Amino acid sequence: MRTLFKTVKLASLGLLLGLSVSVTARAQNARIEMGQLDHLGAKASETVDVNIDERLMHLTAKFLSGKDPDEVKIKELVNGLKGIYVKSFEFERDGDYSQADIESIRLQLRSPAWSKILNVSSKKEGSVEVYLMSNAAQVGGLVVVATDLKELTIVNIVGPVDLEKLSQLEGQFGVPELGIERTKPKPKN
Amino acid sequence: MKRLLVPTLLLTLLWSAPDSVAEAKGDDFGAVVKVVEEFYGVKHKGIPFLAKAGIKAATAAAHLAGGSKKRLAEAGSVKLAFFEDQQFSAKGGFSDFRATLKARLAGRWLPFIQVLSLNDEAQTYVFLRDAGPKYTVLVVTIEKHDATVVQVNLAPQTLAMLMQNPNDMGRAIMDDATTDDRE
Repeated sequence: MRTLFKTVKLASLGLLLGLSVSVTARAQNARIEMGQLDHLGAKASETVDVNIDERLMHLTAKFLSGKDPDEVKIKELVNGLKGIYVKSFEFERDGDYSQADIESIRLQLRSPAWSKILNVSSKKEGSVEVYLMSNAAQVGGLVVVATDLKELTIVNIVGPVDLEKLSQLEGQFGVPELGIERTKPKPKN
Repeated sequence: MKRLLVPTLLLTLLWSAPDSVAEAKGDDFGAVVKVVEEFYGVKHKGIPFLAKAGIKAATAAAHLAGGSKKRLAEAGSVKLAFFEDQQFSAKGGFSDFRATLKARLAGRWLPFIQVLSLNDEAQTYVFLRDAGPKYTVLVVTIEKHDATVVQVNLAPQTLAMLMQNPNDMGRAIMDDATTDDRE
C-alpha cells in the first residue's frame, strides 16, 4: 500500500513538473495563434498570409551575401529572428470583421509577459497597437495589431526585435508598410 | 494483324507514360493538380514544347531583384501543369479551395505565403519543403481563366534572396519555369 502511495505521489509530482515546464515554455514563446482569423478570408477582398519559420529565418541569415552592402543590412536585420508571421485582410464593406476577431488576438497578449507600447502611432489611417514580449533583459517578440474600418493586419515577429527594427522590416519578408513611429508624450499643462 | 497490334500498344504506352509515372509516384505535385481539377471541374494540359525546351536549357532569363539574369530553378527539377482558357469560378469562395489545398499538403509542406484577391479573382499559394541541401517549392496560381501548378527545386541562396519579397515569389518562380531562353 505504501509503495502504491509513493508511486502515485511521484507520478503526480512528475505530472505537475511536466505541466509547469510546458506552461513556461508556452509563456516564453512569442508566437501567437492566428489561425482563428482564417474564416475572415471568406469575406475579405484581399488576403495575405505569410509564414516564415525559424528554419527559413536561419536560411536567410546564412545564405545572404556578406559582401553586398544591401544584403549585409538585411542579414543584420534578420539575425536572431525566429519567425515572421503576417495575416492581412482587406474588406469591401465596414464591419466585415468583428471586435471578437481582434479580441481573440488581444486575449493572448494579456499575459504579464506582454506589454503594450503606448507612445506609438501610424502614418496610415486607423489604429495601431504594438505589443512587446520581454523576459528579463531580452525582447522575445513583437505583435502589431493594425485596424481600419475595412482592414485588419496582424504582424507577429518572434525573436529579438524593437520598433526600429520593425520599421526597417516594413516592405520586406511580407511585413506590410505600417508607417509606425514613436510619438512624443504630450506636455502636461 | 498481331504484328501491327504489338507496336501500336507499345506506342500507346510510351505516349501515355509521363502522366502514368507521375500518378504512380503518388507525388504531391500530381495530387495538387488533381485537387485543382476536382475542385474546379477542369483539366490540365501538357507542357508546351517550347516551354519544355526552355526548362531544359542551361540558362534562362529570370530577372532577380539585383537585376542579374539567372536561373532560379535547379536544372531538371521543374514540374509544370497548365490550365488554359477554363473557368475558375470561385464557387464557395477561396476559403474552401485554400482549406482543401492546405489539408492535402499538411504536415509535409510549409504554407509559406498565400495571396488571395477577390477583386482580381486571383489566388497564389507558395508551399515549401526541405529537400536535403535544396528546397522544393510548389507554386499554385489561379486566375479567372488560367491556372498553373509549378514545382521546382531551389538552391538555399536563391530561396534566401526570393524570401525578401515573398509577395512576388510565386510570380518569379512561375515566370522562370515558363520562360523560353530563346525568347
